[in-house]
Order: sequence, then structure tokens, then C-alpha cells
Amino acid sequence: MNDMRIVERKVDTNEVKIAAKDVQVYYGDNHAIKDVSVEIEDKTVTAFIGPSGCGKSTFLRCINRMNDTIDICRVTGDIMIDGEDIYDAKVDPVQLRAKVGMVFQKPNPFPKSIYDNVAYGPKIHGLAKNKADLDNIVENALRRGAIWDEVKDRLHAPGTGLSGGQQQRLCIARAIATAPEVLLMDEPCSALDPIATAQVEELIDELRKSYSVVIVTHSMQQAARVSQKTAFFHLGHLVEYGETTTIFTNPVDPRTESYITGRIG
Amino acid sequence: MHDKHIASAFDRDLEAIQAQIMKMGGLVENAILEAAISLETRDEERAEAVRKSDKAIDALEELINEEAARVIALRAPTAIDLRVVLSVIKVSANLERIGDYAKNLAKRTGVLSQMEPVNGSAGTLRRMAKEVEGMLKDALDAYVARDAELAQDVIDRDIQVDQMYNALFREFLTFMMEDPTNITACMHLHFIAKNIERMGDHVTSIAEQVVYLVTGAIPDEARAKGDKTSLPS
Repeated sequence: MNDMRIVERKVDTNEVKIAAKDVQVYYGDNHAIKDVSVEIEDKTVTAFIGPSGCGKSTFLRCINRMNDTIDICRVTGDIMIDGEDIYDAKVDPVQLRAKVGMVFQKPNPFPKSIYDNVAYGPKIHGLAKNKADLDNIVENALRRGAIWDEVKDRLHAPGTGLSGGQQQRLCIARAIATAPEVLLMDEPCSALDPIATAQVEELIDELRKSYSVVIVTHSMQQAARVSQKTAFFHLGHLVEYGETTTIFTNPVDPRTESYITGRIG
Repeated sequence: MHDKHIASAFDRDLEAIQAQIMKMGGLVENAILEAAISLETRDEERAEAVRKSDKAIDALEELINEEAARVIALRAPTAIDLRVVLSVIKVSANLERIGDYAKNLAKRTGVLSQMEPVNGSAGTLRRMAKEVEGMLKDALDAYVARDAELAQDVIDRDIQVDQMYNALFREFLTFMMEDPTNITACMHLHFIAKNIERMGDHVTSIAEQVVYLVTGAIPDEARAKGDKTSLPS
């Protein structure tokens, strides 16, 4: 009987990759994240869901210190990746962001060739010893980004000339070219059509074999489809965090249930 | 939790579907009672009416299933909403089966009215049918009120129906052994008793759906089983 059950939801590991403890984020006087503690697992897709302004993107941006770029933003509490505090003074945010890749809502390829878009990160981080090595990294990243077959004959054409879905997969390839350990995705499919969305979702499932993927999405169905763990944020609080199946069939907190059934926005 | 969906049409869909379940439940309750009365009073016209009313029950089941499929396709329900839709599909199937059993009771009225009454069984059959009808009423009330406790009470009461069936089963055996000319009537009466007992099982299943709807978990199979007629004596 067991082999007839739905198994793709299974989490392969329960090693903690990212551990956040008592995280508070302030934008000036605005207390945007209130006391969030969460342990995100390795080789797992974790979805952050919640209404607009609930803090899910803010929290996501704490994980690779993107909030550093906002002057009035203040982050307290601990965020550890593999047991190391990423807000420690010794940590170089640029190195951190090579390890923690990010993909944004709108595809944002550099105004360069497809090849250079992907090669840029490995080059500045000195990951390639020579041209052949770099070619290899680019090809691998594009393959893993599930876009190689579509672009292999026009690697030197501008990245901006691709379709929206292709641009987004190019951005994912760019993010994984630096061999990150964590991939953050902030609504990666909201500007894509259903086919491109399905391709990106398929890719996310593929990527979780090697990375810890954290995805912010407004589409509850997408969260249900791609993630193994789901965290529900509301008004800056982490309300409920657990197995995606449980969150979508029998959540514990009435606020979670109200949100996922479409009763509060 | 909030009562209302932001998309109010979703609320209307779910309410409509549940109103149909209630309508179906009302028809089935009535069919049980009418079938029992027609048996007892040997009223063939009444029995004919029960048989005819089953068509409406079947049509409602079909309608409910179509609506449930539509809600799943269009609204992708989750959590409590998903449980409502799933329970609606199962409850309508249970009600449809109960309706069939009631119809079968009515059908046998015609045959039985040609025969001598079998001593005392009519009263027990009436009590059984009355009990099942009462359980169904409570199960449907529990469904509307989302009352898991009342549903559990219904589940626990099924044993009484089972015990009445056991008693009848033994009685019929005795009658048949005493006088083989009783066999035809007793076989029919036994089927009637068995059908009512099965109705009780379907009512229990509806009550289990209520527990699932409210708690998200199916109650475990710990309930006492009263039908022991299949065991060697």
C-alpha cells in the first residue's frame, strides 16, 4: 500500500539550514517583523504565504541581508545559516549573497548577453579558473535553469530579448551559477504565464535536491504545489509554520484557515 | 475564524450545495417513515408513492455531485471548505443508498400484504425504522450545526439498531424451523430487517463525516459492533 501513496511531498532531510530566532525588523517606527523564530530545512522548499504587507518579503530579504540597502531598516535577533550568524560584523554581505541567491518578482536580466548574465557572478567571485571552466559553469547553470536548449544557439544575444518566462529562468540560472546553498525567490512567477509558471515550478522541485529554497508567493495554490513546508505570516507575526499538507488541509490556527480558504486577505 | 469568504459567490455555492443535502435528507427521512408505515398498514398505495419518490432522491444526488465537482474545479477549496465538499459527496452517496433501501422496503410491501402477518415482527421493524429515522434526523442536525458530539452520539446509537436486527434474525429462524410455510414471508421480513440495519450503517457513516468535517479526522473504528449474525453460534 505504501508505494501507492503520494510521496513527492516527502522531505528528504530535516537538517536545519537557516535558523532565525526572535527576529524583529523596523522600518523607522514601523515594526514590520515581530518576534519571528523559524527553522528552515535544507533540501526543502519552504513557502511564505500571507496577505500583502504581512512581512513575508521583508523576512525573506533578511536572509541575504538585502535590507542592509535600506537606510531606515533595522534588524535585531539572530539569523544563522549553518550555525553562523549572518549579521556578524565579520560577514561580508557580498560573499553572503553569493551563498544565498535571490530571484525577484520581475525578471531583471542585466542588459548584457545571455552568456554574460550567467557568467557575471562566477567571474566576480573568482569561481572559474579559465575560459573553458567558465563556459562549463554557464552551460551547467543554464541547463539546471531548464533553459539551455532554448538559448544554446544564441548565447551572445541580449538576455533582455528573451520572453518573460525565459528571462525569469535566465535569472534563476544566474542565481544558481555562483553555486549558492540557499535560493530565495520573491514571487518568481507573478509576471509569468501558466506554462512558464509550470516550468519554473518544475525547476524549483528540481532545485530542492541541492538547495534550500524559500519562496514567497501570493498564489496559495502555488505554495501548495511546490513546497514541503509552509509558513503563514500575518501582520508581522509568523502565525503558523508546518507541513504544507497540514497547512492546506487542517491548519491549527484559525487565522491560517481564514486566509487559505479566502476569508481574510 | 471568519465566517465569510471574500468572494461571496463561494459562500453562496457552498450554502446552495448544503441546502441540497438537507433537502435530500428530508426526502430520505420521509421515505423511511412512509415505507415503514406502508409495511405495517399494508398500504400498497403508500408504498407506490415511496417507490416513486426515490427518483427525486437519485436526481438530487446527481445534482449535488455535479455542483461539488464544479466547486472543486472553479474554487480549489482548502481546509474546512475542502472538507465540506468532500463530505457533501459522501453524505449524498449515503443518503442515496438509504433511499434505495427504503424503496426496497416499499417494494416488499406488495408481496407481504398477500401473506399472513408474522407474529410480532411488525412492531420491532417499526421501532427499528423509527430509530434509524431519528438517527438520520440527528445526523443531519449535527451536520448543519457542525456538532461533533451529537454526531458521536448517533454513531453510538447504531448498536441498538444492530441488536434489534439480531433479535429479529433469531426470531425469523425459529419461525421458519417451526413451520416451513413461514419461509417466504420470513425471508422477505429478514431482508426488510437487514435493509433497515444497513440504513443504520449508512447513517453512522454520515455521522462520521460530520466528525471529519468538524475535526479534520475520521473517528476510529472503536465503536461497538452489534450485528453478530455472521458469526458462528
